[in-house]
Amino acid sequence: MSSELRYDGKVAIITGAGNGLGRQHALMFAARGARVVVNDLGGGIHGEGKSSAAADKVVEEIRAAGGEAVANYDSVEDGDRIVQTALDAFGTLDIVVNNAGILRDSSFHKMTQADWDLIVRVHLHGAFRVSHAAWPILRDKGYGRIIMTTSAAGIYGNFGQANYSAAKLALVGLANTLAQEGRAKNIHVNTIAPIAGSRLTETVLPPELIAALKPEYVSPLLGWLCHEDCKESGSLFEVGAGYIGKLRWERSKGRSLPLGRPFSAEDVARHWAQIGDFTDAEHPGNINESMAPLLANMNSKSLGGNEFIDLDQAMNSETVIDSQYDQRDVALYALGVGAAPDPLDDQELSYVYELKGDRFQVLPTYAVMPASNAMLALAKEGKQVLKGLNFGFERLLHGEQYTEIKQPLKGQDQLRHSFRLKAAYDKAPHAVVVIAVTSRNQAGEEVAYNETTMFVRGAGGWGGDRGPAGETLEPPAREPDAVIEERTDANQALLYRLSGDWNPLHADPAFAKAFGFDKPILHGLCTYGYVARHVIKAFLGNDARRFKSIRVRFADNVFPGQTLVTRMWRESATRVIVETRVKENDKIVIKNAAVEFYEQIPVAASAKPAAAQPPADAGPSAGELFGAIALHLQQHKGLGEQIKTVFQFRLKSPDSDWYLDLKSGDGAVQQGLAAQADVTLELADADFIAMATGKADPNKLYFGGKMKVSGNVMASQKLGFLQKLDPKLLQQTRGTRAAAAEAAPPADASGSATIFAAIGLHLQAHPGMGAQIKTVFQFQLKQPDSSWVIDLKSGDGRVFAGVAEQADVKLEMADEDFLAMASGKADPNKLYFGGKMKVSGNVMASQKLGFLQKLDPKLLQQARGTAAAAPRAPAAAASALSPAASRSAALLERLQQKLAQDSTALAALKGKLLRLNLREPEASWLLDCSGAQPSLKAQAPGQADAVFGIRDEDLYALLQRQAPVRSLYQQGRLRVDGDVRLAPQLALLAELL
Amino acid sequence: MKRRVNVIGVGMTRFAKPGASAEYYEMAREAGQIALRDAGIAYEEVQQAYVGYVYGDSTCGQRAVYELGLTGIPVVNVNNNCSTGSTALWLARQAVASGAAECVLALGFEKMERGALGSKFDDREPPLGPQVQLMNEVQGINSAPPAAQMFGGAGREYRYEHGTRKETFGKIAEKARRHASRNPYALFSQALSLDEIMASEEVFDPLTRFQCCPPTCGAGAAILCSDEFASKHGIAQPVYIAAQAMTTDFASSFSEKSMIKMVGYDMSKAAARQVYEAAGIGPEEVDVVELHDCFTANELLTYEALGLCAEGGAEAFIWDAQNTYGGKVVTNPSGGLLSKGHPLGATGLAQCTELVWQLRGCADARQVDGARIALQHNLGLGGACVVTLYRRD
Repeated sequence: MSSELRYDGKVAIITGAGNGLGRQHALMFAARGARVVVNDLGGGIHGEGKSSAAADKVVEEIRAAGGEAVANYDSVEDGDRIVQTALDAFGTLDIVVNNAGILRDSSFHKMTQADWDLIVRVHLHGAFRVSHAAWPILRDKGYGRIIMTTSAAGIYGNFGQANYSAAKLALVGLANTLAQEGRAKNIHVNTIAPIAGSRLTETVLPPELIAALKPEYVSPLLGWLCHEDCKESGSLFEVGAGYIGKLRWERSKGRSLPLGRPFSAEDVARHWAQIGDFTDAEHPGNINESMAPLLANMNSKSLGGNEFIDLDQAMNSETVIDSQYDQRDVALYALGVGAAPDPLDDQELSYVYELKGDRFQVLPTYAVMPASNAMLALAKEGKQVLKGLNFGFERLLHGEQYTEIKQPLKGQDQLRHSFRLKAAYDKAPHAVVVIAVTSRNQAGEEVAYNETTMFVRGAGGWGGDRGPAGETLEPPAREPDAVIEERTDANQALLYRLSGDWNPLHADPAFAKAFGFDKPILHGLCTYGYVARHVIKAFLGNDARRFKSIRVRFADNVFPGQTLVTRMWRESATRVIVETRVKENDKIVIKNAAVEFYEQIPVAASAKPAAAQPPADAGPSAGELFGAIALHLQQHKGLGEQIKTVFQFRLKSPDSDWYLDLKSGDGAVQQGLAAQADVTLELADADFIAMATGKADPNKLYFGGKMKVSGNVMASQKLGFLQKLDPKLLQQTRGTRAAAAEAAPPADASGSATIFAAIGLHLQAHPGMGAQIKTVFQFQLKQPDSSWVIDLKSGDGRVFAGVAEQADVKLEMADEDFLAMASGKADPNKLYFGGKMKVSGNVMASQKLGFLQKLDPKLLQQARGTAAAAPRAPAAAASALSPAASRSAALLERLQQKLAQDSTALAALKGKLLRLNLREPEASWLLDCSGAQPSLKAQAPGQADAVFGIRDEDLYALLQRQAPVRSLYQQGRLRVDGDVRLAPQLALLAELL
Repeated sequence: MKRRVNVIGVGMTRFAKPGASAEYYEMAREAGQIALRDAGIAYEEVQQAYVGYVYGDSTCGQRAVYELGLTGIPVVNVNNNCSTGSTALWLARQAVASGAAECVLALGFEKMERGALGSKFDDREPPLGPQVQLMNEVQGINSAPPAAQMFGGAGREYRYEHGTRKETFGKIAEKARRHASRNPYALFSQALSLDEIMASEEVFDPLTRFQCCPPTCGAGAAILCSDEFASKHGIAQPVYIAAQAMTTDFASSFSEKSMIKMVGYDMSKAAARQVYEAAGIGPEEVDVVELHDCFTANELLTYEALGLCAEGGAEAFIWDAQNTYGGKVVTNPSGGLLSKGHPLGATGLAQCTELVWQLRGCADARQVDGARIALQHNLGLGGACVVTLYRRD
């Protein structure tokens, strides 16, 4: 690269080379060895006159410097003659620099045809003529470099230069195509937009600026672009005053509107901001890249829709909403649908009186409530239940309802409802949408399924499917098998609405009037509950457990105080056809209705194994454990002297504080807070109990985030003695507890044979130990006597009873000491130095026995063959904590509202998509700032610029400004995939709140 | 008095996985014999030996050197965590430079266990207590390997500060594997794609498995001598040490509550500055570097600490391929710790070996064209950093 770029043997034509840029180009090429045709008509800058002086002068200059050049005085419009000059003088041609140009500036309204024609002829036709004449020569030799000279005036426009701008930008188009046509023949075509002090710019730029804009600052770009080593082609550069930059096209990501539906100017206006948003812009470099988004859109066929219903969005949209209810909700609902009108009717009392225990039952139609309440809650905020359903609540009419019970509802539960669009029908001018809701319990089992069919006024007309005519269930002609007549109370709607349907139409007389009703009407779903209750009473003996499903069409309004007459026809053992009328006016209010029963009561999957669960042992309390620790300190005098640390324990759920003062002397245990603790450990009461009873490893609690340690972390390592608490001490403190239940199985019962069996298992679990340790160990145990060999000479090694043929090292000790050593209670070195273990043979090899101390206790259990007979079912304490409910959901919902109110919020995130993936409990939110209105949506699909993984609790802390983003990230509690630069912006959300 | 110190012989074993290596003294013997042959001298001419290892009881150094001969010379055992090998080198150079000896052996070996580095002495205050304490305050502690948490944490801090892509770290591992594919001494010589690296199991965000150096067994050796000794033995144009510096922690390692500082950024920066000043050579003149890439995050930080790129410029430096053949400077042509392996005591001497080969122009397929100036960086937490600048005229 450091060697000079030479042009020896190359022939270059420079048009307009008598002055300024052209002259400088010519001098530059000649100085580097090229033979140059110096073309100049010798005219004025406005295209007047003609003279040979300018070209001759430059040729003389070149020759004086030792270069080769000839002059040509033709107009560029006679391009073939210029090319001929090159052929005549030098026999070939390699480089064409189209530089010649003139000006005829004039504002457009004063511009004459002559002004236009002259400029287009010289710049555009001229460049065409010269290049066109040169083209066959360059093609034939398979080599060529062509430069077009355009101008900033052409690229950006300039007042008074309409003719010049047009001609100049035309050259860019010419170059782009020539670059493609010439590529295969090694002809490279580039365009430069120079700004230099020349005769053309003297008229528009001040003299001091022109001085800085020397042509010498432009020519070097050509010196590289025209060189044979340069691969650049089809490019455009701005150059001048020592600056060189490359230009390219930039295109916004734009907006694709689905094909297959009306596409109007209003659509364009609506998406205008996105169309012009250059975030993540693309840089198409050729026609194919230009076409890419168009082709992509052509391949995405729309399902159709209009401004009310966007089927593409809605069909792919899912909303997940959590809710919970308890017996109070259930009883209130039952009262709302007229249950237990006679408080002495024991059967109906079971719907409303939770103290009935097992006999308390949930009216099955309550299954529609959590889901429809969730929908209503969204409507209250002016939101749609699903993305893509953009109609207002006021257009809705509840047409049909279907509810299916998958397992009998519990008296209280936490449910997760997932909403989807099942179908949308175009009943032009209206529409019908069917929303399907699946409700699952916390075990993930489906509890209920609902379908809500809604009639949407004026939302049809997109030319879609009209849908099925609709199943009609005509009641049989015969007399009904059962009839129940029941009067609603005058205040029935007021009672029912407390279950969640806040619509004023059912409570506010003025509001009802505005809708053309004399008084507030009863909720359709209230009547729905009545109907279900009637069927259960008539056919199931008021036992709702076999109730499977109900389907109705809401045919007319009911006013509170009217009497409902439900007529029922049993069609089969599991199906009943229903019709309900208002007695007072004999209007049918519920039709097309059917109720189905299960043949047998369905059983919840989770309930099946649970029945066999034995009651858990109550286990020791933290207080009892600290009592045991106090006893331990008494028995092990001087622990304070040894450990020299004050430990503060802060236990949670239930909360209690304890500290172990092991600063000096024998140490002490106290309840409360220490004046000065060295280390503070925060953990759940249950985890402390698990830890102190040896069931949980303190390190695992810590690493797993269940124990928080502050202060001197290292000091917490000194707590190991807790794990060695003698169970007897615990018994002592627990006092009355039955000793038998607690006694740990005697570890000593295992015997050395079991240990050797466990070693055998260990070798299986760690293949290759023989190859690694390369030693045969002979053990001679006494009292009782036995001989064992651990052969780790090669391969995986093996263990057997007896005597080895050739042992590297022999270890003699008491059976008891071996047991102590292998269970980690005695240090082999101490046994050796204390004379309790005798070692002969290769003494050093005995050092390789360290692995014995790392024997997994599980292997020992396995070896005992009693693994199944674990002393007790492991205390479920640690896992018994109830799964957390989302704390951040409420904050996120508040954010949704804030964002809806303020479209300028989060301006810093403009154009970005951020996803929040929550854990414990799981949820996913998409913060969409790509459009004009930022939004936060639950469970919205799609790509994001950054994905944040975070626990619900941590997000709550972040949004409450209790935890800075940076710390959460550094601690690994906030995980960032994608653009990490967006992470600090999460703080904006907290600010917004 | 200060004398010029030449590196006249180098050698190393092929690095091996834990459990698959020879005994430590056997590896040491192999490396030592190669270095002696390379220098063309007999062991009897060696006047002192500095022997580095981390895991092993006292006087393993003698046990190892005795394999080469029993000549009664001073043998010093050296232990300085991951910078052990270069610390032995530093002591050897000091002995020759000061005139205390004419010819000195620097030797390093390690026989490592499988799995992450851990503490061997559980009954006393661990040496990295203050570092762990700081880490606990800044980011807590989890069950990932402690070193990965420390260097990974530094990576997080850098990433948050500079908006760095995760793939940028992965890209370093991709380069390491590519370089190692030409090094017969490397433990992992199979090239990996960026996708494979990013898809490997996450050890500690942002580090994935392939971005962590493996525990390794191996040995390396170097023989250092004075100009007089070299000319007496007819050794022409040897590689020599133009400058060398060792630093330990500054207050900033702990006071700034910064993971980047805690893992030794300022140690590296100060050592590099001292070396550049002493040699009168700037980072832009360096042709080839072996630096301490125990984790990709540390290689990235070290680019900046050594001045190979501007602070904050590492991401561009990496994606513009300035760190490999055809770029500004070739970093870790050997494949580095990431691919070649990291036997703690041997690493500093293996880096030295690679650079001496590079300056002699005998690095075969991984030769950096026209390499004249080479830089070595070896870092240990706890801490110590040794930076060495080599030249061949």
